[in-house]
Amino acid sequence: MAEIDSNSPPSSKNILVASGISLVVALIVLFSFILPAEFGKDPLGTGELFGLNVLGLEENPFEEQLIVHKTDSVEFILGPFESVEYKYLLDMDASMLFSWVADGELYYDMHAEPAGLGEEYAESFEQGNGDSRMGSFHAPFTGIHGWFWENRGSSTITLQLYSSGFYVNSTVFRDGGSYERELGAVTD
Amino acid sequence: MPRLMTASTKLLLLAVALFSLPAFGHTIEGGDASFVEAIDGPAIGPFIYLGAKHMVTGYDHLLFLLGVIFFLYRPKHVVQYVTLFAVGHSITLLLGVLANLQVNAYFIDAIIGLSIVYKAFENIDGFKRVFGFEPNTKVAVFVFGLFHGLGLATKLQEFDLSENGLVINIISFNIGVEIGQILALSAVFLILSVWRTSSSYLRHSFVTNTALMTGGFLLAGFQFSAYLFQPPF
Repeated sequence: MAEIDSNSPPSSKNILVASGISLVVALIVLFSFILPAEFGKDPLGTGELFGLNVLGLEENPFEEQLIVHKTDSVEFILGPFESVEYKYLLDMDASMLFSWVADGELYYDMHAEPAGLGEEYAESFEQGNGDSRMGSFHAPFTGIHGWFWENRGSSTITLQLYSSGFYVNSTVFRDGGSYERELGAVTD
Repeated sequence: MPRLMTASTKLLLLAVALFSLPAFGHTIEGGDASFVEAIDGPAIGPFIYLGAKHMVTGYDHLLFLLGVIFFLYRPKHVVQYVTLFAVGHSITLLLGVLANLQVNAYFIDAIIGLSIVYKAFENIDGFKRVFGFEPNTKVAVFVFGLFHGLGLATKLQEFDLSENGLVINIISFNIGVEIGQILALSAVFLILSVWRTSSSYLRHSFVTNTALMTGGFLLAGFQFSAYLFQPPF
């Protein structure tokens, strides 16, 4: 728009034209860019033209998995100051549901190690003391994902874990050694 | 040199108005959000911080304040207007959360966008020259303060705030909002003061306010679209 002479105040026509341009520019930007990119609407086809439509896609709550899911229940008996680590092998973006209950308070640390990278890349998700935790877990990377439990009290505690998920198998780490557990698909 | 400065300032304004689009939905997010939900009991420090952060990073409030102080040259007048704005938004922030007023956040944010349009239109003498009368500017700032406060309230209401320590937490959030406002305003006022020493300030004020108006229209359009196309919280 034209430069306004500093000596004369804007005329009412200038003001209306400027306001109109302002509104039109905003509408053009709104319809050409914001609607496709933010709301998945593409009334003018500009989203397609500039490749903006991918931004407006809603996240699909459905996530496909290629294997039948498995289910697992396991029990550990922990004497005073004993600990155990139990982890599931999960691919990236695989999910599981779990509940664990114990008849006494345990220290727990839910964490994961990326496959092939070892302990120094371990990531912890939750730590605390309690006698049960329930939840769902969505693996942020391929690797082993699970819990470390430690009995810090003076009496023996029984711990039970129930879970279902798209894991491959599980590993028990206890008393300096480890062993794998084969888990069955729900359809077996 | 002054020419160059105004050009770059205008560009900056346009950039603020146009290129911050992806961050348009201005809410409390991520780690802050989970923190707010987990709180049970008074947490003065964190809520002051969140209030200040919301204001400093909230370009909807900032663009409106830019419009408000654009033609205020004396710090005394800035304080007067900003106090009116602060009193207005404090009333509705406190009442909105405490009385649990259920207002659609997108709708309020759209009105906040239009408040920027209103202020910019006033700054280019629109009311005086086109309609032949000028609404009281102080009343307008106060009334829009009420709407901005409702907007702040809807942001807090998105969370299951614990009743425990609620009043203290809202007041802390409000104090934070005022602190953030003072910080942001000081910066804006300083920049404007420097620009005002150049003759281009008045010459370009018309264009600058038109750009401000565009930003307001965009914010309003974005929020109306969200109101239409996205489910409420």
